[in-house]
Amino acid sequence: MEKINIICVDDQQEVLDSVMRDLRVLSPLVRLEEASGTADCLRLLDQIDADGDLVAVVISDQVMPGESGTDLLAKIATDKRFTKTRKVLLTGQATHADTINAINEGQVDNYVEKPWVPEKLLTTVKRLLTLYILESGLDYKPYMSILDNTTLFSKLH
Amino acid sequence: MALPDHIMRPLKRVNRVYFTDPDRILAIPAGEILVRQGEECHRVYLVLRGTFVAYRRTENLEGSGLPAESHVRGHEVFRAEPRSYVCVQAFFSRSFLSSYYIVAIEDAEVAYIDDTTPAVDAEQYGTLEQQFIPVLVHELAARNSRIFTQVSEKEEAVRLLQRAEMAATLGQLSAGIAHELNNAVGVISRRTDFVAANLSEYLAKEDKKNADLFTRGYEDDSFLAANELRGVVRQYERELGLPQDAARVLAHLAPQGNARELLGASFVKHLQRNFRFWELGHDLRDLRMAAKHASGIVRAVKLLGGGSTLHEPGVDVIQSLHDAMSLLTNKLKHVSLQLDLRPVPTITADITELVQIWTNIMNNAYDAMTDAQTPDPLIRVETAHLHADGMQVLPTEYVAVTISNNGPDIPAAIREKIFQPSFTTKKKGLDFGLGLGLSIVRRIVDSYNGTIELHSSQGLTSFTINLPTTQIHGKD
Repeated sequence: MEKINIICVDDQQEVLDSVMRDLRVLSPLVRLEEASGTADCLRLLDQIDADGDLVAVVISDQVMPGESGTDLLAKIATDKRFTKTRKVLLTGQATHADTINAINEGQVDNYVEKPWVPEKLLTTVKRLLTLYILESGLDYKPYMSILDNTTLFSKLH
Repeated sequence: MALPDHIMRPLKRVNRVYFTDPDRILAIPAGEILVRQGEECHRVYLVLRGTFVAYRRTENLEGSGLPAESHVRGHEVFRAEPRSYVCVQAFFSRSFLSSYYIVAIEDAEVAYIDDTTPAVDAEQYGTLEQQFIPVLVHELAARNSRIFTQVSEKEEAVRLLQRAEMAATLGQLSAGIAHELNNAVGVISRRTDFVAANLSEYLAKEDKKNADLFTRGYEDDSFLAANELRGVVRQYERELGLPQDAARVLAHLAPQGNARELLGASFVKHLQRNFRFWELGHDLRDLRMAAKHASGIVRAVKLLGGGSTLHEPGVDVIQSLHDAMSLLTNKLKHVSLQLDLRPVPTITADITELVQIWTNIMNNAYDAMTDAQTPDPLIRVETAHLHADGMQVLPTEYVAVTISNNGPDIPAAIREKIFQPSFTTKKKGLDFGLGLGLSIVRRIVDSYNGTIELHSSQGLTSFTINLPTTQIHGKD
């Protein structure tokens, strides 16, 4: 069966470590991957796609060397392979313009401010994962234990 | 000041005709007052020799409680040197009142006319007033240029004052923040050490293997690029049947992909269930690193305000370069870093100031290259121990640190400006600069009697900082 991935992108390893830890309850049902920047994430996306796997959620930092998080999310938004992928901007320092760009170009589903509240981040990711699974027409039953019940029921009924 | 010929010629005539009468030439010894402010003066003087200073006493100064002295105190308004005229306005306005004290500051000689002096060759040259028009023009031109100079000097003084005030405010503000943060960071740092020590001791009693995992996590210094790490993690998941998080820990312990050979099968088996002990150690390591990072920033902020510096002998310049690079780890991992660090003698310095110099230069290099999207960005750091044979500019022995990059050239037009406070090229979005970086560098280097060399051409920009190995005192 194809694996569902959740990717976190940040140039700071400590941040990646923390997000991984906060989302750990989701594994091993989904795979948690980390990328150190935009270029690295695009490489990872190609690899996942080549393996025939799926990407449910990308959580990206905004301010990174090279291309920004908004740039990355905008690229994913226009990539036919990842049309259903949900996007989260995780940032401590986005300007007003960044935020507008993130919504218009990056089509972000959620904006999480650093420092984040772990439970909130987890709830957000669970909700987006649930939406992804339902919209992709995947069988949600194997993932029941990590899905957001409210979202699941409101979509199913 | 250069006046046109048609003024200069008659001016010379006036000087010759009116200011050469030996009976009307006076010697004024240094310190003597030629004219007093507010008193009558019925003469026009031409300075032949020596210098006079014109003072103006203001109301403020009168009542300022300055000690009564024999000589006049007040603002210096102008200086009159040979070929200048004094009391022109008072004389030709017929007010005959002097607006200044005019005092000889060295032995001087003046020639004069007074209100009894007749016009010479009036038929040909007109009245005295008409003949003296070139003198009036000369006087006007002198006053004008004086005013322009004074205005621009005043503007400059006000600007410097404002900047000094801004820097002082910033300094106070940052010192306050730095103090508060320092306390908080200190608590985090010390408690992290305590927790780590206690936990390590406890674990050692309970389970040697877990204590070992904890210590390995605490002391972890493996560095793997994210994509390499992913590769090794996948390999361990596949080959060893580990869950992703355990495989991740193993990838840190054996980044080469040889965990089984390196650590043994039983270690791997134990790790599968107990990898969290490694993570615990690693968390404390991150805490310690973050505290160190934060206190480094606090130190840097303190330096902004020109805080206390501590010059100690035996400071290792190469260590300070390593410190700077570790502060900038996050940025420097995106460029290739070439190090050519030759042994150099220790110097007397404040290591935090040295770190400040290097971080500012490297940070600028990084930002410039990122902005310009320089392909294959490179930062090169070199050290050298040099002797300046016969060169007067530098002391005989110094440590030279060169930091170069292959980013865009610094245009010749701004090369001097970049060292001035509030000069910045970083105006884009969040990555704005205060324009303080290189001015701090210069201030620090100056305080060490060092020099900065800047070369920038054909895609190679290098800053060389020369620091004397022995401190010459007397400056500062």
